Amino acid sequence: MMATPATPRTATDQPLIETRKLVKSYNLGGETIHAVNGVSLSIERGEYVAIMGTSGSGKSTFMNMIGCLDVPTSGQVLIDGTPTASMSSDELASLRNEKIGFVFQQFNLLARTSSIDNVAVPLIYAGIDKAERRERAIAKLRDMGLGDRLLNTPAKLSGGQQQRVAIARALVTEPLVLLADEPTGALDTRTSEEIMAIFEKLNAAGITVIVVTHEDEIADHAKRRIEFRDGKVIEDRLVKNRTVASAHAEAEGV
Amino acid sequence: MEKWLASWSVNIAIAFTALRTNLMRSILTMLGVLIGVFAVTLAVAVGNGAQVSVMQSINSFGSNMAIIVPEPDNEGGRRSFDRGRLTQRDLRAIEREVPGVIATAPQLRSTLDLVTPGANATTSSVGTTPGYGSITHHPADRGRYITEADVRSAARVLVLGRTTAETLFGEFDPVGESVRVDGVPFQVIGLLEEKGSTFGTDNDDTVVMPISTMRQRFVGDTLPGPDDLQLAFAGFEEGASLVQGKIDITNVLKDRYRVRDGEINPFRVRTTQEFMEESQFITGILQAVLVAIASISLLVGGIGIMNIMLVSVTERTREIGLRMALGAKRSDIRNQFLVEAAVLCVLGGAVGLALAWLAGTALTAYADFPVPIGVGVAIGSLIFSAVIGLAFGGYPAVRASRLSPIEALRTE
Ligand SMILES: Nc1ncnc2c1ncn2[C@@H]1O[C@H](COP(=O)(O)OP(=O)(O)O)[C@@H](O)[C@H]1O
Ligand SMILES: [Mg+2]
Repeated sequence: MMATPATPRTATDQPLIETRKLVKSYNLGGETIHAVNGVSLSIERGEYVAIMGTSGSGKSTFMNMIGCLDVPTSGQVLIDGTPTASMSSDELASLRNEKIGFVFQQFNLLARTSSIDNVAVPLIYAGIDKAERRERAIAKLRDMGLGDRLLNTPAKLSGGQQQRVAIARALVTEPLVLLADEPTGALDTRTSEEIMAIFEKLNAAGITVIVVTHEDEIADHAKRRIEFRDGKVIEDRLVKNRTVASAHAEAEGV
Repeated sequence: MEKWLASWSVNIAIAFTALRTNLMRSILTMLGVLIGVFAVTLAVAVGNGAQVSVMQSINSFGSNMAIIVPEPDNEGGRRSFDRGRLTQRDLRAIEREVPGVIATAPQLRSTLDLVTPGANATTSSVGTTPGYGSITHHPADRGRYITEADVRSAARVLVLGRTTAETLFGEFDPVGESVRVDGVPFQVIGLLEEKGSTFGTDNDDTVVMPISTMRQRFVGDTLPGPDDLQLAFAGFEEGASLVQGKIDITNVLKDRYRVRDGEINPFRVRTTQEFMEESQFITGILQAVLVAIASISLLVGGIGIMNIMLVSVTERTREIGLRMALGAKRSDIRNQFLVEAAVLCVLGGAVGLALAWLAGTALTAYADFPVPIGVGVAIGSLIFSAVIGLAFGGYPAVRASRLSPIEALRTE
């Protein structure tokens, strides 16, 4: 094991996410492309991992498989020690709903829908009643510093605010892990810093965070850095000189 | 159960948001269903109306009776009365021997010229006995009906239908007045109850006189014997089986005329029940044809729904992927789109139903033809439009639910 988890092991002593010889290949006009080509690694609870690599190196494909959105060509993904290969689509949906929070580069908020309703969507599928959905969505939005933007639709929010709504949505079911694929790719530097500060805080509170990025400044916030090239892990190491969230982001109280 | 309700209410809310987002498109799609439901509902109602009005007119002639028609052989166009006779003695036998018969009435009919000073009428006139009024549900409500005494004495008395009375006397009360029939003076003794028309025939344009008078003065020489009838009615008591009644009457007559098994009966017995069944069958076919034609427009509306739902699924593929990433199961996605289709259909169907109701009410009022849209038809149309939504929205919804989360998320 190259990585040492920062927080004590919880309930199970299984890794939170483990992959074994994970492969995803695409067949393009007779030619087989291995987007992910035999990746075995494990991520413990409480880790803060940056996944790095040039464009096309397989980062997103890897993330989608550990997030149970995509099915491997071969190899295994284990979540909390449970293999996912044999799970039905309904079981995978529940697993995503309960244990995984997704943050996307393009925010993926529902248009013409208020912040509250956007954040409440995962709770609908968790079978939570309306009053509680509302209450929990508001609480998460307040945590993200959006207490005064509860009824705004995405069109009435800045990029950074939209991404914070999306983070609130990812967190509203109290997942174990946050998967963020280039979450700052559509944001300016200052806003990116804000988002990274949020991730740092969440990690400090015990949530496992996995961020895909190709920017060193972003990756430097993480505790562990995994680098992909051509679908393979070429480097997996702890970060020595971590950047701590910038002063002005802290000052805003996010 | 509560969870189930809650998830449907969420889906309905999502559906309304989606429909508002593409308001014009939603309205046009609904229009297809609207026209379809309008047409089908109206077709069902017109069919029901036809049924009701046929039943009413059959009932208005007496709901529980048999009609007995002698059927003489027809040789070279001339009637031969060797077979097929019916007399008042036969009627008395029927009254005596057939259980359930409360009364019989003979009928001789002729078209006669009625003349008063200043007016005249050519009217289909009936010669009969006093029981006729109650068997055919057409008694006198002014003056009096014909009596046994009138029949015995072949009295020259007339009971006038309302239309005939008006033609001859206008507003003036005709009871006690005199009318010349084929030059012979008759006295008006009463007026028949007003009955209206059925199938374009005015039931009030008629005259009733004693059968003996009709026979002696107007139709005697067209009949084979002094006691023969053109037609007869047998009225049954409430609840009597007309199927059995018909068999009994047939047997009594076969006995009296010594018709052996296998020989053709020289008379025909028809019951009001048969008339009802036959007309129910015919109006049923009429209704089925109407509904089938109207269903084509509903089918077209349904295809419109399917089309727009496929478009909606394609446009919202990314949303579907997102919802799946956030924990939506296949069934959640399927139900979301099913509800959207059903909402489109039920809204369209409700408006279509309302318009059909308006059209039905207008037809009933102005076209003098009942087009009843009852609670049953209304609920039926709404359920039917929901079913159309589920049927035609089903394929797009299932297609949406089968999308792979990642592929759906990646679409632009
Ligand atoms: N659905 C797909 N069909 C075909 N090739 C794909 C598909 N998704 C990804 N790839 C290919 O797999 C490789 C890895 O892609 P991706 O994981 O998106 O890289 P990254 O996120 O690191 O930029 C790329 O060469 C890409 O073209
Ligand atoms: Mg990528």
